[in-house]
Amino acid sequence: MIEETALRSNRTMEPKKHSRLENSAATFRLFLKNRLAMVGMIITLVYFAIAIADTVYPQWLGVSNLSTALNFVPGHIANTAQPSPPRFNGSWWYWFGTTYSTIPILPVMLAALRIDLAYTVLIVFLGMGIGVILGSAAGYFGGILDEIMMRVTDIFFSLPFFVFALAIVYVLGFSFDNVVLALIIIWWPTYARLSRGLALETKSFKYVEASRASGASNFKILFGHIIPNVLSPVYVQISLDLGSIIQLFASIFFLIGSFAQSTYPIEIGYMISGGESYLSEGLWWPVIIPSLFLLVFTVAVNLMGDGLRDVLDPKLRR
Amino acid sequence: MELRYFIIRRLLLMIPTLIGLTIIVFVLMWSLPHTFLASAFINPKAPNRAQAILTAENQLGLNQGIVLAYLHYLGNTLTGNWGYMTLTTPIKFDGTVLSGIGLFFPNTIQLVIFAAILSILIAIPLGTYIGARPNSIADHSGRIFSLSFYAIPVFVLAVVFQVIFGKGVIAGNPVGIFPISGTFSISAINVISPPSWLVSGVGGVVLSQPTHLIIFDSLIHGDYALAGNAFMHIVLPVLVLTLSLLAGILRFLRASMVDAANSEYIKTARSKGVPENIVVKLHMRRNALIPTITVLGLLFASLLGGVVLIEDVFDYPGIGYLALSTILSGSIFGVLGTTFLFGIILITANLLVDITYAILDPRIRY
Repeated sequence: MIEETALRSNRTMEPKKHSRLENSAATFRLFLKNRLAMVGMIITLVYFAIAIADTVYPQWLGVSNLSTALNFVPGHIANTAQPSPPRFNGSWWYWFGTTYSTIPILPVMLAALRIDLAYTVLIVFLGMGIGVILGSAAGYFGGILDEIMMRVTDIFFSLPFFVFALAIVYVLGFSFDNVVLALIIIWWPTYARLSRGLALETKSFKYVEASRASGASNFKILFGHIIPNVLSPVYVQISLDLGSIIQLFASIFFLIGSFAQSTYPIEIGYMISGGESYLSEGLWWPVIIPSLFLLVFTVAVNLMGDGLRDVLDPKLRR
Repeated sequence: MELRYFIIRRLLLMIPTLIGLTIIVFVLMWSLPHTFLASAFINPKAPNRAQAILTAENQLGLNQGIVLAYLHYLGNTLTGNWGYMTLTTPIKFDGTVLSGIGLFFPNTIQLVIFAAILSILIAIPLGTYIGARPNSIADHSGRIFSLSFYAIPVFVLAVVFQVIFGKGVIAGNPVGIFPISGTFSISAINVISPPSWLVSGVGGVVLSQPTHLIIFDSLIHGDYALAGNAFMHIVLPVLVLTLSLLAGILRFLRASMVDAANSEYIKTARSKGVPENIVVKLHMRRNALIPTITVLGLLFASLLGGVVLIEDVFDYPGIGYLALSTILSGSIFGVLGTTFLFGIILITANLLVDITYAILDPRIRY
């Protein structure tokens, strides 16, 4: 018994930085063992690398100024040339064929990825930031703040999020920024709920009590102890949400695209709706290729998220 | 605690949520220019327009500050005074918001009932089967199936199904036998002397009596040809909705079956010699269903989003298509009304989920 206590006190005396580093290295090694999760992570990184390359060096795609050059109006496809099928001899531009008004699918799809990923990351991280701070504060302080928080998230969870996002976009006016705002409004409660529960658990831990006893302010405890410990399940949620949000984002533009009366910058859901009318002529690639592109990303982030959950949640470590 | 008290408590907890929903919808309304609100609230063809706008301003409480205006909004919502909407694209409709919802809601109920029943009927046995055999071939194929249908955008699934199984989309396609749009073919009705139980509603929309659900009504009245025709029309939307819902349920059920399989009570049951299929059905599945039911509420929320997309692709005149039309036609009270309606549906669904949860798990009677 005494030995055990001694051991324990010994462990707490170790330099904290060292143990944390060691811990995350072990976690990472475990993650590397999960092949599916690794594949998911590599695919996700490739998608992000493409999006960053687009932003830093747009010339490599040869597609610049998408919104004006391509004049992409899904509602008005009459009097244009038929899309050409995928062909692998010749320029890589035409590997995946062309879609409406002879737009080459591959480079435009890669360029559209930049928009989709940038907005998705913006939505997920802003939603996460708001949710984690409000949720952890509610869990840590408890009382009336917590009660209000719970009721507010209850209300948001009982909103049909897709219809509600459409309504917000309608009220604010249709634009990329307002779609982002609408999706943040519907998405932050997920993180608030998650981190509130974790903060409730964390605040009863000894080191939080110790830090309070040594005179740390609430602010310092919240940002120094509670939030860092809340984050690892939040990472899992982020990786799963990247898939959900990119789809919600594309869905909104798919709906808008079916009835578009003017040009918009290219986005993947919008591209899919542009190819929709060709399907009935047996021209499959304008819809299927961008959809597969979206599907692969969603599967990849889900595999990565499942793998992360397995290593970050010690209860599941077996 | 008795189940009765649990239900009463749960009903009381609905009140703050309902108030919150009305506040959010009201804030959406209040953030728009007030002169626009008054003129959108009334029938544009009203005889005395200036007078009607004044009346609308009073009904909405636009000049009485935000608190009184909210109370006016609450009163209008409760008394069924949801405003007027004129829809142009893609649905054409001219009438009050509530009458429009009354016309299109039954079609969606029909869709969701079939999809929910079908996906639960498939998901529970299938999830039990694969969850009881982790890492078998059946398990792996089940996981690949559910992950891919979970990841594929629902609108893509709808478009692809429409092309592959739609009648007349691709010439000479042997599996293309299902109609691709609407709820029934007009050719299935004797147009010259239509049956008395089919009445024409606002805007020429056909409404069937008494339930307004055309499949059930035609069965009640013995018109099997029309029932068959209407049934063929909902096959594709129901299939797409079912697949997307099924994938979600299957993922959670499988995971919680595996969790349950590792628990002590399963070891106990096995070691005292309980037959394997009883262990799976009575001990494992019953416990695995409990966490699955909690996510049903969330899945139902995404199902409602799927309804909008699917009804759009199949031109199916339900409330999802109506919600989209209100947005595209720029009818503010239509948008608010349909958003409120979707909220009510989801709150009711969550209530049913919680009650089912309490019935299945006697520990949850807090």
